[in-house]
Amino acid sequence: MTRPVTRLVLGTAAGVLIAMVPSGVSASDDEVRREGSCSGKAGWEMRASWDDDERIEVRGRVEDTGRGQIWAWKIKHNGSVSASGRAVTGSSGFEVRRALVDLPGVDHCVFRAERLRTGEVCRGVIDW
Amino acid sequence: MRLLRNPVAQYLILAVLLFGVLSLATSVLSARVAAQQASDDARQVTRVLARSVAEPAIPRGLVDGDAGAIDKLDREVLDRLLVGDVRRVKIWRGDGTIVYSDESSLIGAQYPLDEEEREVLENGGIEAEVSDLSKPENRLETEPGGLVEVYTRIRSPEGEPMLFEVYYSADDLAARQSALFAPIQRITVGGLLAMLVIATPIIWVLTRRLTRTGRERERLLRASMTASEAERRRIARDLHDGVVQDLAGTAFSVTAVGRDERVPDDVREDLQQAGHSLRTSLKALRSLLVSIHPPDLHADGLAAALTDLSAPAATAQVETNVHVSDIGEVPDDTVRLVWRVAQEAVRNAIRHAHATTLEVDVHRQDDRLVLRVVDDGQGFDVEGERDPASFGLRGLASLVKDEGGRLDVRSTPGEGTEVRMEVGIG
Repeated sequence: MTRPVTRLVLGTAAGVLIAMVPSGVSASDDEVRREGSCSGKAGWEMRASWDDDERIEVRGRVEDTGRGQIWAWKIKHNGSVSASGRAVTGSSGFEVRRALVDLPGVDHCVFRAERLRTGEVCRGVIDW
Repeated sequence: MRLLRNPVAQYLILAVLLFGVLSLATSVLSARVAAQQASDDARQVTRVLARSVAEPAIPRGLVDGDAGAIDKLDREVLDRLLVGDVRRVKIWRGDGTIVYSDESSLIGAQYPLDEEEREVLENGGIEAEVSDLSKPENRLETEPGGLVEVYTRIRSPEGEPMLFEVYYSADDLAARQSALFAPIQRITVGGLLAMLVIATPIIWVLTRRLTRTGRERERLLRASMTASEAERRRIARDLHDGVVQDLAGTAFSVTAVGRDERVPDDVREDLQQAGHSLRTSLKALRSLLVSIHPPDLHADGLAAALTDLSAPAATAQVETNVHVSDIGEVPDDTVRLVWRVAQEAVRNAIRHAHATTLEVDVHRQDDRLVLRVVDDGQGFDVEGERDPASFGLRGLASLVKDEGGRLDVRSTPGEGTEVRMEVGIG
């Protein structure tokens, strides 16, 4: 790997890591909320709360995007894919929500979205 | 007690008892059938849930406890599994780990499978049993009426056998059982009641008809006896006023002539024999008159009348003993009844018993008058076919019953006969 390429890769990785560090955290008894910036211009928000069936309702949201962008998203639960799909952004990004089973111990929930054309990545984590 | 002798009352008591027994029996049987039906329904629902809902939706990784697979299955089938009476769903791995349940806190927990569950897991089939709520895997169940669990085998996409277990509310199953059972019970009990309602008036009408017929027969019998008595009275009176008086006069005259010394000896002897013969015949005729119709009977004259009545027995070489104790004031009708029963009993003893002794005893027992006519003759089987000659006693039994008394005939072949009548004189 040449030096400029190495520099580019390291720079991008550092940028992604910096971008994905949550910039805001809030929590109440019934809901945990995370938000942050994606690796590009978009921002993300992730929430977890109880639903009526006593399941963990995980909501992932990507904001500040242009209309018509195609994103691939995943929700992982304790390391395995619980739900995945593709979304086309509207005027205010897109949002997905899925119910996860509250398993014994800490439930490690991850929301990850990637814009297919640019490779911009958004990633949020909530341990429930 | 009199009511209990009524055939309709007897029928109703028996019918109600039978109704109760049949209702109970059909209730038990119907409940059993309904319980079986409810259990079959639960098995059928479990089979459908297992084959059509759960098994097709099981994702890869579930058998390994993969959280994402659990989420996928939960989102896809939870609403379709918890339907109707279903209270809990569990999917077990072969090692006893619960890989999925609608109660998420059970997921991942491991409990030993019992023998029946292992058998279903290995050989397939479907089983149902009452849940043991003391088991740790059932610690969260709070259904007040308990649960019934039904389980069957399903397979994961990886081919691993798993146990699909559905818990039903026992109360709900009981309610369904009742819903199945109620129509059967209505039909059974309703049918029996309808039969009772229809049969009762029929029995009542038939009984009334029989009672009426019986009363008519009794009335005819009594009329016949009354007519017979009147006829006997007329014959006795005619004989007494005519033939007996004539014979008495003739006997007196013949005897008187037989004592006349002017008559030759050989003729006197013949006349005395003729007189003796006439007196013997007269005595026999008087005895016959008494047996045809008694003189006007009162308590005071009962002993004499019974002695006269028994006179033919002595003639028939039967040692006769008549005993009438001090019976005090007794209505004439009762005295006549005693005499008539004694007459029939003595006549039967002379004609049929071939007895050597005959005892006629009348005594008072508290407020009842008791007549006993006992012979040591050949006796007969009381339960066997009656001799037509005993018809008279049967007819008299009816009369005695009408007077509030009872007439019993006790006899055994070879051991004589006792006719006993008791009648109230209070």
